[in-house]
Amino acid sequence: MRTASAVPVRARSTVVLAVAALIGLVAFVWPLFVAPGAALDNSSQGPLVFALLLPVVIVIVLTELTSGNISPKALAMLGVVAALGTLTRPLGAGTAGIELIFFLLIVGGRVFGPGFGFLLGNTTLLVSALVTGGVGPWLPYQMLAAGFVGLGAALLPRVGGWLEIVLLSLWCCVSAFTYGWLMDLAFWPFALGTGTDASFLAGAPVLENLRRFVVYNVATSMGWNLMRAVVNVAAIALLGPAMLRILRRAARRAHFVA
Amino acid sequence: MPRLITRVAPLPPDAVTRSAPVLRTTHPWAWWAWALCAGVTASLTLNPLVLALVAVALVTVVLARRDDGLWARSLKFYLLLGAFIIVGRVMVRLFIGGSTTGTVVFRLPEIHLPAWAAGIRLGGPVTAEELVWAATDATRLATILLCVGAANSLANPRTALKSVPAALHDISVAVVITLTVLPQLIASTHRVRRGRRLRGNAVRGLRGLAATLVPVVEDAVEGSMTLASSMEARGYGRTRGQQKVPGHTTVALLAALVSLLLGAFVVLGVPASPVTVLGLAPERWLALFLLAVGVGLGATGLRSAGRRLSVTRYRPAPWGAPENLVCTCGALAVAVGLWLTSPLGYPDQLNPPPLTLTWPALPLPAILLPLLLALPAVLTPRPQRAGGR
Amino acid sequence: MIHFEHVSITQPDATTPVIADATFSIRDGDLCLVMGRTGTGKSTLLGAINGLVPHSSGATLSGDVTVAGRSTRTHRPRDLADVVGWVGQNPLAGFVTDVVEDEVAYGMEQLGLSPSVMRKRVEETLDLMGIADLRRRSLMELSGGQQQRVAIAAVLAAQPRVLVLDEPTSALDPTAAQDVLAAIATLVHDVGLTVVLAEHRLERVMHEADTALWLPGDGRVVSGTASDILSMADTTPPLVELATAMGWPEVPLSVRAARRRIRDHGPHLDLKAAPELREAMSWRGDGHPPVAQLRDLRVTYGDITAVAGVDLDLHAGTTVALMGRNGSGKSSLLWALQGAVPSSGQVSVDGRDPRRVGDDEARRLVSLVPQSPADLLYLADVDAECAQADRESGVAEGTARSLLLRLSADLPGERNPRDLSEGQRLALVLAIQLAASPRVVCLDEPTRGLDYAMKRELTRIIAALAAQGTCVVVSTHDVEFAAQTAERTIVLAEGEVVADGTTRQVCSSSPSFAPQVTKVFHPADVMTVAEISAARVTS
Repeated sequence: MRTASAVPVRARSTVVLAVAALIGLVAFVWPLFVAPGAALDNSSQGPLVFALLLPVVIVIVLTELTSGNISPKALAMLGVVAALGTLTRPLGAGTAGIELIFFLLIVGGRVFGPGFGFLLGNTTLLVSALVTGGVGPWLPYQMLAAGFVGLGAALLPRVGGWLEIVLLSLWCCVSAFTYGWLMDLAFWPFALGTGTDASFLAGAPVLENLRRFVVYNVATSMGWNLMRAVVNVAAIALLGPAMLRILRRAARRAHFVA
Repeated sequence: MPRLITRVAPLPPDAVTRSAPVLRTTHPWAWWAWALCAGVTASLTLNPLVLALVAVALVTVVLARRDDGLWARSLKFYLLLGAFIIVGRVMVRLFIGGSTTGTVVFRLPEIHLPAWAAGIRLGGPVTAEELVWAATDATRLATILLCVGAANSLANPRTALKSVPAALHDISVAVVITLTVLPQLIASTHRVRRGRRLRGNAVRGLRGLAATLVPVVEDAVEGSMTLASSMEARGYGRTRGQQKVPGHTTVALLAALVSLLLGAFVVLGVPASPVTVLGLAPERWLALFLLAVGVGLGATGLRSAGRRLSVTRYRPAPWGAPENLVCTCGALAVAVGLWLTSPLGYPDQLNPPPLTLTWPALPLPAILLPLLLALPAVLTPRPQRAGGR
Repeated sequence: MIHFEHVSITQPDATTPVIADATFSIRDGDLCLVMGRTGTGKSTLLGAINGLVPHSSGATLSGDVTVAGRSTRTHRPRDLADVVGWVGQNPLAGFVTDVVEDEVAYGMEQLGLSPSVMRKRVEETLDLMGIADLRRRSLMELSGGQQQRVAIAAVLAAQPRVLVLDEPTSALDPTAAQDVLAAIATLVHDVGLTVVLAEHRLERVMHEADTALWLPGDGRVVSGTASDILSMADTTPPLVELATAMGWPEVPLSVRAARRRIRDHGPHLDLKAAPELREAMSWRGDGHPPVAQLRDLRVTYGDITAVAGVDLDLHAGTTVALMGRNGSGKSSLLWALQGAVPSSGQVSVDGRDPRRVGDDEARRLVSLVPQSPADLLYLADVDAECAQADRESGVAEGTARSLLLRLSADLPGERNPRDLSEGQRLALVLAIQLAASPRVVCLDEPTRGLDYAMKRELTRIIAALAAQGTCVVVSTHDVEFAAQTAERTIVLAEGEVVADGTTRQVCSSSPSFAPQVTKVFHPADVMTVAEISAARVTS
């Protein structure tokens, strides 16, 4: 199926997005390669430092993405789909949770294109945090990650019919797990503190830290991640075709350039 | 309008005169600046007494100055989250092995996980030093989170959205639309759910969800078309000239990102050398420099991107004496905190060495910290509360 | 002020233009009515005035539209925001912010006006539309009429010289509609704005109109004075129908004008005077078998009482109109009768209580078509909806489909229900609900958004249902529709029944519920043009 492009992404914006993705990755996997003696060595405050840095990154990316003229139609659609996403997100913030948010991010990004998908991820997470008063250090992480979930759905190969649903379900599965893992990884020292056998060890080989993390993660949040993936995949399988139909019809009527 | 759900509450006869005097509210970004300062202050110390007093100061200000919006109820959530972090950290210390030197309080049965599971030791000796350290570090985290929670409760997000930089205008509009559409969607969901009985509620489960979701989404999407027309007809984006964003804006933004990226690498990956320049290792200075350059370039790019748009604000939230006072209190708290923790102040009392068992001391000047942070509770105007009069 | 020169507009995916070679002008300061049946392109024509068509609709436009000297070819809608104010049907969907004051200021913010000018204009505009006391209220909790006035204020703040209104009252009850139309009249008379107005219920506005445009549906746009256009248009409010039946050369634009005409030129018909009303509760059933009883029915939401102890008997084979102002409990009564909202008191349909039987059984007792019928549709096309209706009613395959045919709505099976017109969607939902062959059919405000022809069609359908022995209960604000359709009328106020009798008794005795023909021939006992024609033949 054709993917519309409600928010055009210029070539130079792609570079900005790529650098932002790199910074995001650093912010997520920082416990794996902190050097001993570096500023964040032996500290559980890494996420807090990045929580100050990431908003700057997000603001820069949003400025770049919206600096090409966004049509009111795209903005109105963005607001409405983000509101739907917020509605499906049960009250309560934090780093974990079973949310149908992925379903809407993926469907929205798929129909309206990569730029829209990125903005959708950011807006949805921001608003649901605002209305619940859940603005915290985790929010910039969530926004960035959700942005790339929506963006990724738009970049998947163009197929139609049930194959598309399968593809989106796969992406949903992959992204829901990756999201959960990255989130847990970034906040691992935050949740566990330092100095225990399961905590990260600055300067240790990446593999050693990774192994410690996996044990910690499987023991604590595997269930959450699994549930999140299952619920969202089920939603895509059952509600996905109807949602794609509705949003594609809207995209056609709004004449978003393909 | 779903008539059975939303009803127009009758306006009290004196409602007009009541709402006529505009109540002054404190600027939301002032609260965020204050909360950020409080967070920095809290991050400077590991003295549980100081941290507890800072937390008390935060709660005092929130209780005195929050309004009755939805976000204002988030204080409880952050208090619970803080308690959860402290309890969670101590539990982890009980069950997962770590350092074994020190005063052993008791021993739990010991299990060594196999090598593929990183050889983690579960159980074993539990030392008092470990528990105290865990609790202290967690208290600091909880206090920093409470600062964020305080800002959440005090700052009205709608007013905050009104004063974002021009470059973010589009995104702020999208967020405003989302906030506006949300209650409409909730009402429409109720209406459609109630209507499902009219068709006998024949489908259930996730498919039943489709019977609710589809009409709601269709309505919402159709509404977005109307909204777009209405925005267009009312001049949305009109002042944004036809000219494109200049190329150097993107270059500035990109350079900002690269600088931030390098800064992050230095923060994470470069060990500090033993030499210090002005109290900090040169590597730390380099990191700060890179991050500052990144933020500066970003701000420049932001300003240049926003220059095309000359949207004005109706009754912008004023920034006056209360805002300056709130920010000053925060900045003073940080300054006092820096002095106290420097070699010129009381470094040993404010940051007792880890893994020692001593009752924390409270140097008298440290009381300044919570006092300064609590001052906005009296320095700012009282907010409007529906039930409060 | 507004000039159309050889304008043709073709919708995307269409081969024939919806408007073909239209040339007309609207003078400064006129109130111009746009008439035409649903789907003839009224919205498209209105959108062309401020450039929404073609700039944001994807339609193609040839020819030239100029407003105050600016061509929509070179000016986008946003560039015309200070010249043309555009207000759509559903005010709530067009709001960007959530507080009255902010919404009024929004357009000016976009134009980049200085804060002090904005402040001044907001105050002026709030006063002009009479909404100053609502300034800090949330838009969601306003009534429909208030919302529409805010929407008009929001475009007026930019001080445009032309106001374009696309069916601003189609979603409002008569009181609210009157409210909005009065505000519009003020703008025409006192401010001197040029107003272009599309409106279904012409009887409410035609006395204010200077000129009119009629879209017959074949692409033409006919312009002329309001009276001329009304006499040739196919949209026939009762006064036009009366003028046609009487053979008057000119259509009277108000009840007053019609009464004067009759006073001066006749015909002076020998009509029986309406009997004086002695008892407001006069319905006795007229020999129809009872099908439903309500005893002391009460519906409350929190501390609000919507229905306050209603006793009613409904009879098979009758059509009942439920009237009353907004919030008088009409909807709640219907929903409680169906059992879909909690209520206390007795409800008995065919001896059974719809609140106690299962959801699918309740449908066979009482079926309800809600105010927004689309709420019940969730499948991809008409065929799927019909098949689902057959399944959930436990009837033979094809029942709903054949019902749809009987409602003379032969809808294409693969059509998306959202692409149907209001009338077609109503027919589809009605067919779905009738598949369960209910004893009582309730229609909640079915005439919203329907044009005259569709309303006549609905009257025919309801009559056919009643003839089969079904009891049809219609809640409506539309007096003319009730007069045509219902034999019994119940008036609710504050959740109580205040009048219950034959429609003739209830309506002709009331100044506000009387149809226009009754008002013209007051105190005679007539309700429809057909009766007048018959009286002329006999006299």
